[in-house]
Amino acid sequence: MQKEMAYSFPDEVLKHVFSFIQSDKDRNAVSLVCKSWYEIERWCRRKVFIGNCYAVSPRMVIRRFPEVRSIELKGKPHFADFNLVPDGWGGYVLQWIAEMAGAYPWLGEIRLKRMVVTDESLELIAKSFKNFKVLVLFSCEGFSTDGLAAIAASCKNLRELDLRESEVDDLSGHWLAQFPETCTSLVSLNISCLGSDEVSFSALERLVDRCPNLRSLQLNRAVTLDKIANILRRAPQLVDFGTGNYAAELQPDVFSNLAGAFSSCKELKSLSGFWDVVPAYLPALYSICPRLTSLNLSYATIQSPDLIKLVSHCPRLQRLLFLIQVLDYVEDSGLEELASSCKDLQELRVFPSDPFGVEPNVSLTEQGLVAVSLGCPKLQSVLYFCRRMSNAALVTIAQNCPNLTRFRLCIIEPKTPDYLTLDPLDAGFGAIVEHCKDLRRLSLSGLLTDHVFEYIGTYGKKLEMLSVAFAGDSDLGLHHVLSGCESLRKLEIRDCPFGDKALLANAAKLETMRSLWMSSCAVSFGACKLLGQKMPKLNVEVIDETEPPDSRPESYPVDKLYIYKSVAGPRFDMPPFVWSMDEAVKILH
Amino acid sequence: MGRPTSSSSSIDSPNHFAFSSTASSQRDLTTDLRLGLSISIAPPYVREQWPPMKAAVAEEEHECNSSTFYVKVYMEGIPIGRKLDLLAHESYYDLIRTLEHMFHTNIIWAEAEMDRDHYEKYHVLTYEDKEGDWMMVGDVPWEMFLSAVRRLKISKC
Repeated sequence: MQKEMAYSFPDEVLKHVFSFIQSDKDRNAVSLVCKSWYEIERWCRRKVFIGNCYAVSPRMVIRRFPEVRSIELKGKPHFADFNLVPDGWGGYVLQWIAEMAGAYPWLGEIRLKRMVVTDESLELIAKSFKNFKVLVLFSCEGFSTDGLAAIAASCKNLRELDLRESEVDDLSGHWLAQFPETCTSLVSLNISCLGSDEVSFSALERLVDRCPNLRSLQLNRAVTLDKIANILRRAPQLVDFGTGNYAAELQPDVFSNLAGAFSSCKELKSLSGFWDVVPAYLPALYSICPRLTSLNLSYATIQSPDLIKLVSHCPRLQRLLFLIQVLDYVEDSGLEELASSCKDLQELRVFPSDPFGVEPNVSLTEQGLVAVSLGCPKLQSVLYFCRRMSNAALVTIAQNCPNLTRFRLCIIEPKTPDYLTLDPLDAGFGAIVEHCKDLRRLSLSGLLTDHVFEYIGTYGKKLEMLSVAFAGDSDLGLHHVLSGCESLRKLEIRDCPFGDKALLANAAKLETMRSLWMSSCAVSFGACKLLGQKMPKLNVEVIDETEPPDSRPESYPVDKLYIYKSVAGPRFDMPPFVWSMDEAVKILH
Repeated sequence: MGRPTSSSSSIDSPNHFAFSSTASSQRDLTTDLRLGLSISIAPPYVREQWPPMKAAVAEEEHECNSSTFYVKVYMEGIPIGRKLDLLAHESYYDLIRTLEHMFHTNIIWAEAEMDRDHYEKYHVLTYEDKEGDWMMVGDVPWEMFLSAVRRLKISKC
């Protein structure tokens, strides 16, 4: 009977069946069924996602999956976005590229996030992969326009080049001209992060002209408003467009040209950019507004009345990003308009215009968010900066939006209590985790005691990522989270009174997570060493830029701590200010 | 990439480990906080890189918004004060340069070195913070200073 079953599905059939299984989780499950399924699966896995580039070595990936066509890698911890990770920490992609160059000649897609990418890496990509199609560098750094020129010149069938939020060294604006005349394959181009001199507009125009499949184009701030019409007329098939600078003196001919160009884009659904927006030019968008599903105004200095006018023309807006600016503001009134017009809204992000100011400069409070929670039943994802909050408001939001999957609230002043009762905001966040049963990501702020962590540990069963700052009273808080949150993958903590006890008591939990970041907390060097000693599957790294942690007593707290599971052992590219707690490393020194 | 792991390693040389002067003054503050004190004491606590926003977004605000933050600046011995837009400056160095030019003197602040023989040529820069205390300029990160400063004073040494 067993024999019959083993021969009833030849490998080719299984391979074909597996080709329909795309998700990593499912593929991992498939590979655990039996040895032959493991073997078949590993030979036909085409896409690999590595959430922490130090969790595994390139060689290990290549050994297991020999036929990969697409790879995604993430480097630095999330708090690197807020300058908490010192320069030179790591996240270098070069070694990955070098090893893959030999092993994966048919590699077509590389997606990187928070990694250091040098021109050498880019040149190696350009040289090594004949079928290269997709390069996404999200929040990366370390490269210049020279590297981009190499990619442009060599990648004959490039489909996607996306540099969003990366830091690029400006050496020459002519890299775009390196795309050969024969390159007509571009589908997506995002150069929004580039500075003033990094783009030759005429080269851009010619490129857009000869790429009939271009669907997504994000320009940089250097491209002026008068040039937008030229671009749009060459690419009326665009679905997703990011303007450059959206400021100019109002001139009727420029306006009508722009409005005409926008109206010729019948497929346009998503807009972004709008640096320095001049409200008088916003009506040029009205013809496409009824089709808009996504609007990113996080760089737009737009006032509430103008926003209200614009939004009233966009009933199907599903994803909206705002930035509130000094003197120009969305305010609660703008959000109330949004709540009444945009019934399908799924994601809302409200940024502060004056993040370092002490007094509120705009009339944006918790009321705006409450209004949106009431009016937009499909709301799933929230990122909201404000200066005051109440437990009552949070409870209302939680009850109105039980489908929230991501809730990130930043009350600008740390340890701000409920402004009505002066209580901690434990109950409010408790309501969020209790009512939003599918919550996967949560960021806390305001005055919080250990109680909020009790709620999170009790109710946050699907929580995968938690960000904590200036919260809690004792190790009990951390213990609640580590012992209660079954799905926790990423935990990042700063400026909290969490020490050794909870960490050591829940050491095994750390092996089930991707990573833990703790900075300005109270974890001692001794505890770090102990963890490194007892938990061989973890890399325990201490970051201290001022002096080696062992030059102080063992009970002394470490400055920054990053713990992550790894099958690759301690890394070899640590800078002088990062210390590995791995015993083996110590013995070598 | 080697680093000393024995406790006899020398940490005298300031060039041995890369650190900015900002980091070192912050470390001094956290040292004080940690030595015998619990972390949960009241402010001032070190609060760099807050609120949690990506640099690009925060910098955009400073570049393209038209907001200003004028503070009064008095020099000791001169009854008439000046006004200075702090938001027109990017860093302490920027501010000191402006003040030295405005008041035709050499300014002492947290990062400055002084020729002790000619102290009469120097003035000390202090600021009044939210709590009404006069503090030396330059100890805390620039952004934190901006949120705390009420006015500036330049005093004789």
